[in-house]
Amino acid sequence: MLPLARRLEALLFISARPIATDRLAEACGCREDEAAEALGALRAEFAAGAHGIEVREVAGGFTFAVADDCAEDVRRLTGAEKPDELTPALLETLAVVAYLEPVTRAEIAEVRGVSSEWALGALEERGLVEQQGRADTPGAPILYGTGERFLKLFGLVSREHLPPLEEFSLSAAEVDEIRSRLHANAERRGQ
Amino acid sequence: MPVETSAVAAPPVELAPTGRPGIGAPQAHRSFELDLDVFDGPFDLLVTLILRDEIDIWEVRVSRIIAEYVVKLADSGEFDLDATSQFVVLVAALLEMKSRLLLEEEVEEELEDLDPEEAARQLLERLARYSQFRNVAGALGTSWGEHSGRLYRNAAVPAGLLRRRTPDGALPALALADALAPLLREPPVPDTSHLADLAVSLVKELRRLRLILDDAGEFTFAAVAPPDRLERAVTFFALLELHSSGEARLRQTNHFGDIVVSRVAAPALVAG
Repeated sequence: MLPLARRLEALLFISARPIATDRLAEACGCREDEAAEALGALRAEFAAGAHGIEVREVAGGFTFAVADDCAEDVRRLTGAEKPDELTPALLETLAVVAYLEPVTRAEIAEVRGVSSEWALGALEERGLVEQQGRADTPGAPILYGTGERFLKLFGLVSREHLPPLEEFSLSAAEVDEIRSRLHANAERRGQ
Repeated sequence: MPVETSAVAAPPVELAPTGRPGIGAPQAHRSFELDLDVFDGPFDLLVTLILRDEIDIWEVRVSRIIAEYVVKLADSGEFDLDATSQFVVLVAALLEMKSRLLLEEEVEEELEDLDPEEAARQLLERLARYSQFRNVAGALGTSWGEHSGRLYRNAAVPAGLLRRRTPDGALPALALADALAPLLREPPVPDTSHLADLAVSLVKELRRLRLILDDAGEFTFAAVAPPDRLERAVTFFALLELHSSGEARLRQTNHFGDIVVSRVAAPALVAG
């Protein structure tokens, strides 16, 4: 392994949080591109299946993670439990927050068409959503957003790595179907 | 519009078809069966049919649904918070729909100004936007299943390895002494010269006034009051005290005029 890769390995080993490439480079006194190249070598060394741990890029940096096929053993040893499933309402609220953040409760309710007070509270309790100050609008409502825990639990490097919202638009056929249903409703009311 | 019994034999259907599995379908309360006048079957299906306008909500008594659910809860002997929460959400949605219908006439009046085409376009826009997030939620659910169980390194950095920032260069002991010295210095005594030193007390003033009253039998406030404002106030309080104890009578013939004090009885033995 490259000497620089070994030094980066030490940094990742000792850090409790993901570290960005620029910080790794700063700590090693090297250029960022050199650190990136060494990180590539380190990731190859810890490729899936080679060790009980892997190097992963998540939440804005690099960190060690337990290999997925070893996770159960670690859970038995440490007693760590898997996070509970998220209900559709929680996932829907989280999606609105993640794509529109910073966002107010009223804005979330406007998109969903229902109050999201309970869902927001549950997501805050789980550390998936956090308060990020107040909006500079009448009433100064609280602004909500996601944090590092959200990125880690969804395996994302950053919010920019969320799939584009446009990919989830209704198809033309679905839009047509809704349109025709709306027209049918309007006609029935008109009768 | 009462529903035909054959209609409820169909399996529960998802509302807005999205083509993506695993989102939006209520699950936890699917075992809750209803036996209503207009409907016999699972609660999920009832809600779905109402939302699709296949059952007229006016035909459904929500209170009856709630009563049945409460009985079911009591019979089962166990309380499933998730299932009950979802039930409450759906029942609340039904109630909201019903209450909105009560206001429908007013709403329609308001909407009269809006072009029907425009109203449909706005509604479609809103539905399309909501559907995006509903579909994203499905994708997030998949990601959650894949990544949420991953165990990342999270051990704390040993205290001995934590970086401590110190000023550049050695810090001489004298610099520390200079920094601490101002904290050890006695603070200056505050100047209280602006505060008046009261020369008389109420007791002393009472004694003085009684002597004057004994000697003269009558006097005026102006004649006995000292020049200092604060001391004059004490004299005035002493006069009030003499009046309240019944030793003196106070008279003032006009507003802001002088006060005449005259003796009415022998001074109290215990006073002063």
